[in-house]
Amino acid sequence: MGTYIIRRLLLVPVLLFGVTVLIFGMLQFLSPVERSALYVRDIPKNDNAINGIIKTYGLDQPLYVQYWRWMVGRTDTVTGKRTGGILFGDFGYSRTASTTVNNLILTRFPNTLDLTLWAVVPVISVGIWLGVQAAVHQNGFIDQAARIFSIIGTSFPTFVFGLLMLLIFYANLQWFPPGRLSDWASQIVYSSSFHHYTSLLTIDSLLNGRLDIFWDAMRHMLMPILTLSYISWATFVRVTRSSMLETLRMEYVTTARAKGLPENVVINKHARPNAMLPVVTLAGFQVITLLGGVVITETVFNYPGIGQAAANAAAQLDVITVLGFAIFNGLILILANLVVDVMYAFIDPRVRLS
Amino acid sequence: MSADNDILLRVEDLVMHFPIYRGVIQRQVGAVHAVDGISFDVRRGETLGLVGESGCGKSTTGRTILQLYKPTAGHVYFDGSDLIALKREEMRWMRREMQMIFQDPYASLNPRMTVEQIIGEPLMVHNVGTRNEIRERVEHLLELVKLNPSFASRYPHEFSGGQRQRIGIARALALQPSFIVCDEPISALDVSIQAQVINLLQELQQQFNLTYLFIAHDLSVVRHISKRVAVMYLGVIVELAERKDLYSNPLHPYSQALLSAVPVPDPVIETQRKRVILEGDVPSPVNPPSGCRFRTRCPIAEAICAQERPEFRELKSGHFVACHFAERFVQ
Repeated sequence: MGTYIIRRLLLVPVLLFGVTVLIFGMLQFLSPVERSALYVRDIPKNDNAINGIIKTYGLDQPLYVQYWRWMVGRTDTVTGKRTGGILFGDFGYSRTASTTVNNLILTRFPNTLDLTLWAVVPVISVGIWLGVQAAVHQNGFIDQAARIFSIIGTSFPTFVFGLLMLLIFYANLQWFPPGRLSDWASQIVYSSSFHHYTSLLTIDSLLNGRLDIFWDAMRHMLMPILTLSYISWATFVRVTRSSMLETLRMEYVTTARAKGLPENVVINKHARPNAMLPVVTLAGFQVITLLGGVVITETVFNYPGIGQAAANAAAQLDVITVLGFAIFNGLILILANLVVDVMYAFIDPRVRLS
Repeated sequence: MSADNDILLRVEDLVMHFPIYRGVIQRQVGAVHAVDGISFDVRRGETLGLVGESGCGKSTTGRTILQLYKPTAGHVYFDGSDLIALKREEMRWMRREMQMIFQDPYASLNPRMTVEQIIGEPLMVHNVGTRNEIRERVEHLLELVKLNPSFASRYPHEFSGGQRQRIGIARALALQPSFIVCDEPISALDVSIQAQVINLLQELQQQFNLTYLFIAHDLSVVRHISKRVAVMYLGVIVELAERKDLYSNPLHPYSQALLSAVPVPDPVIETQRKRVILEGDVPSPVNPPSGCRFRTRCPIAEAICAQERPEFRELKSGHFVACHFAERFVQ
């Protein structure tokens, strides 16, 4: 098991290299003139200025030279100071956020992580429970209700559902506000008396013993959480249900009954663990999607997560920022997949040897 | 059929219909007549073979007897007590006495449990002994089915088909049952392994005085292992007799066709012998033929066969048959 994890970890740099090559390759679909626009703030008065930029930044150089420069950054010949360089973890400067991309990710990612954490818990726990119940009582009341709700959930576009939530809970009932924090709360959070242990607001507020701030953060997060969990919850119930139905028909489940096991042991010990394999894969994908930033949900609720920042950057053609987010997303994807594979090996003894 | 002490299992008019639901409100539109009124006895210590083509209800019969399906009608008496009248919890305890060996050794073992857990679990639920006693018992059972006791900590996928089937047998034996339903236990196995498993089953039968209901479609195997044989067709038993009687003088046209399909390992006889070849397919069990189930394919069917269901009658001593014209075949 240990060597398996180490082997997989050694593969991470290789995969990341592939990710950068892919992303860089896609960038080459733009002509040097188009790419030079990155470095221009206004329409140049001088026609030759563009050519000058292309020369300075080497945009007409062979691909491998450009790729290498992108990887290691540019070293100033006078001061010897390096700027940029993906290889050194420097994603460059974000024009739209007026700060470095690294900084942007560092401030935005904890917000997305916070949201993911709270959305995943109800999705996985309730989703699995409901899926199992639906399968055990196939065609019963729970099953029919779960199926109807999950069909609605899977076919509901996120933005429609999100806007509906805004309309009901924000505009009409005025229960839950969008955004991240109320003004009074953010004043406390950004004062020196508030300690940032994990940079996850909900956890930090609990660690600081500030229940009022925790509650305020939750009030802001509840609508996005509901939107996210309802949509992914629907898929979860469907996959759990069908996998469980399939497992319940397996002969070893009949064997378990023939042994004289009580029905709850048959279901919880023999059927459910075996039905969890596709569910774990799905959970991995769901978490990856959520962590990558849920562009639509974050935008609808004006939630300052990573998805909202990426969408902003993309809308304003801030290529540097988009590239940074793309690579960061690649990294998350690779690591989350690793976690899923390791979990798989724990759940299914057949995977362990290979 | 007299109710003497010799009989371990008595099946009376057992019916198992699986309802078919259709439409939005899931209305019942029909039923699969998997088992349609069968009666037979199984005597202590014997092997009763149950043969028939696939889909004729053999496996359903086995599973319904063990109450793995709730029968639509009929009675199953095991050692004198009516299993259908038993409460859920009473039935759970009764399962110690009656176990099952499944057809597919790949599907019938939980892939996430070690061999020790698989074999030991029945002992655990029925509170037989402490943890150490159970471990010893598992090792003993593995030796009994001729597997290395050190295999106990391995998972099912690490074994071959024959080994897996022996794990299944060890599991069935764990609670020292008196009755075992063998549901085509060898049809998923390689021919070279089949003999091993058959011999093992016979040895165990002698050692523990087991009673088998042996379901199979391989007539040669059934002939080898059974004391008596029942032939099933489309949910009903058409003939039941001592092995010798059935194989030397089959009274039902269906049994005759089945037996004539068994190849003879002598090329001269094989090319010369006359075979009964049935026409057409098995009718759908959703809508079985009226009267005699076999009449649509029977070479000697007459008008009465469509009107009256033939009685399952004892034509010779211990030889039961359900055919209006069976007399003409008695030798």
